[in-house]
Amino acid sequence: MKRTLPQSLALFSGLGLIVLLIGLPFWWVMTGSIKLPKEIISRDPTMFPRSFTLQHFDKLFQSTDFPAYLLNSLGVALFSTAFTVALALPAAYAFFRMEFPGRAALYRLILLTYAFPTVVVLIPIYGLFAKFGLIDTRTSLVIVNIAFALPFSIWMMRSFLASVPREIEEAAIVDGAPARVILLRIMAPLIAPGIASVAIFTFIASWTEYLFASVLIVSDARRTIPVGFAGIIGQYQIDWGLLLAGATIATIPVVILFAFVGRWFVAGLTEGAVK
Amino acid sequence: MTNPRLAFLFIAPALLFLLAVLGWPLVQAVILSFQNVGVIGSAGTFVGFDNYAAVLGGSGFWRAFGRSVVWVVANAVVQTAVALGVALILNQKFPGVRIARTWIILTWIVPTVVVVIIWRWLLSTSGGMVNPLLIQFGIIDRPVGFFATREGAMTTLVMINSWRWFPFVALMMLAGLTRIPGDLYEAARIDGASAWKRFTRITWPLLQPTLIVLGVVGTLLSFNVFDVIWLLTAGGPSQATQTLPVLIYETAFKGYRLSEAATISVLTSLLLMGFALVATRAMTASEEAR
Repeated sequence: MKRTLPQSLALFSGLGLIVLLIGLPFWWVMTGSIKLPKEIISRDPTMFPRSFTLQHFDKLFQSTDFPAYLLNSLGVALFSTAFTVALALPAAYAFFRMEFPGRAALYRLILLTYAFPTVVVLIPIYGLFAKFGLIDTRTSLVIVNIAFALPFSIWMMRSFLASVPREIEEAAIVDGAPARVILLRIMAPLIAPGIASVAIFTFIASWTEYLFASVLIVSDARRTIPVGFAGIIGQYQIDWGLLLAGATIATIPVVILFAFVGRWFVAGLTEGAVK
Repeated sequence: MTNPRLAFLFIAPALLFLLAVLGWPLVQAVILSFQNVGVIGSAGTFVGFDNYAAVLGGSGFWRAFGRSVVWVVANAVVQTAVALGVALILNQKFPGVRIARTWIILTWIVPTVVVVIIWRWLLSTSGGMVNPLLIQFGIIDRPVGFFATREGAMTTLVMINSWRWFPFVALMMLAGLTRIPGDLYEAARIDGASAWKRFTRITWPLLQPTLIVLGVVGTLLSFNVFDVIWLLTAGGPSQATQTLPVLIYETAFKGYRLSEAATISVLTSLLLMGFALVATRAMTASEEAR
């Protein structure tokens, strides 16, 4: 397909618009974090920084609990991800490759859990966790993150499993391999992109979760980035430099993660999720 | 493979987990809504439908419900429109298309609190970029407070939330677009169909199933948005952005009226589940019709 000149122009100006729409805010934040306070709140905002300082990052790491938030967030997100994948993989396999009574109904039930507002279970979960001494533990966050990510993860893995030709499995069944072995040795490697997609989805959902983290965690040292950071917003009378530095640091881990596995994830979304 | 016992064994961990962490609390919320409880953990007395009568009889619930509807519809319209444009562009072949497809999702992968800081700063009247930019382009002649008025706050929140979610929606649409066979377009081109004709006759109808799925998932996702609203306006000014999740949170954790919050929660769940059920019915019906 050849494009005419006007078509090319339209395409690339549209593309430029998208890049600006997404890139510009991030550019402003990241460059803002290295500007001197005076330049940050200047009446004539600068596109390119005229000053350079690392004082905001310095302050962030010296006088706030930000490093602890960062580690908490990483830990919670990693554990949530590992457990979600471990639970979702066999469940998705059973739902889409095995036959059993009540399959459709159970699957619909799981999808329905996706429907109700998470805030609904906030109060009862608080009560439940209080009973088990889980309030103010990072474990509590891992537990809720898994529960929230599971339905979508099972749903997402479905299409990847469906894309594996049945003959591959049938050959293994004929060879007498047990289901566990088929799943782990044959299916899992074949749907690696799907597993990666689910992992990224869960990691990001856990990394960004705010509501439960704000209620279930009490002590400052156990807070995750979203909550700890929201606390910094109020604590220091709008120190923009500090906040921009924090925003920059909070963005970097996901950007690094995404640089490595982003393509798989996007492939997972575009090839799988809507099937 | 037919081995029900094995299948259940595979499903049981996930299912039990969901039942314990979501199912049981949901039951508790229902119980709580029929009781009169103020403090978490304290024993309540059974009050029947009193809470429901109070919530449904008052104006707070209905106003928040109205705001939630406005919120969901506005987000759906803005996101669908922008995402469709973006998806059509990203469906073209050009150098760097893969990078573009991967990195547009940046707004969705950063924590909400980062999104909040970005926009609070960009929209602020001291140092913010948006006001000077709008003035330069002659759209406004003096700095505006984006969260100062009721309509302004809602509009601004919808824009920010859409900014966050449109890449996700766009990628889902792209998925629908890539499944439309290319020879359909070739044939249409040979028949001399214009770009607009090709869009209205091929792209749009064949994108319908994707749009329906997105409509359902997107509605549920938008409805549940809490942190963006809470961190930017806390439901204000004068409750103009207090959607149902915000109302539930405020009732429970600011007003400490747990039973009332549980009642609103249960009503909200019923609304959403009703919507989801009707929508999935419609979805499977349209799938079977194809």
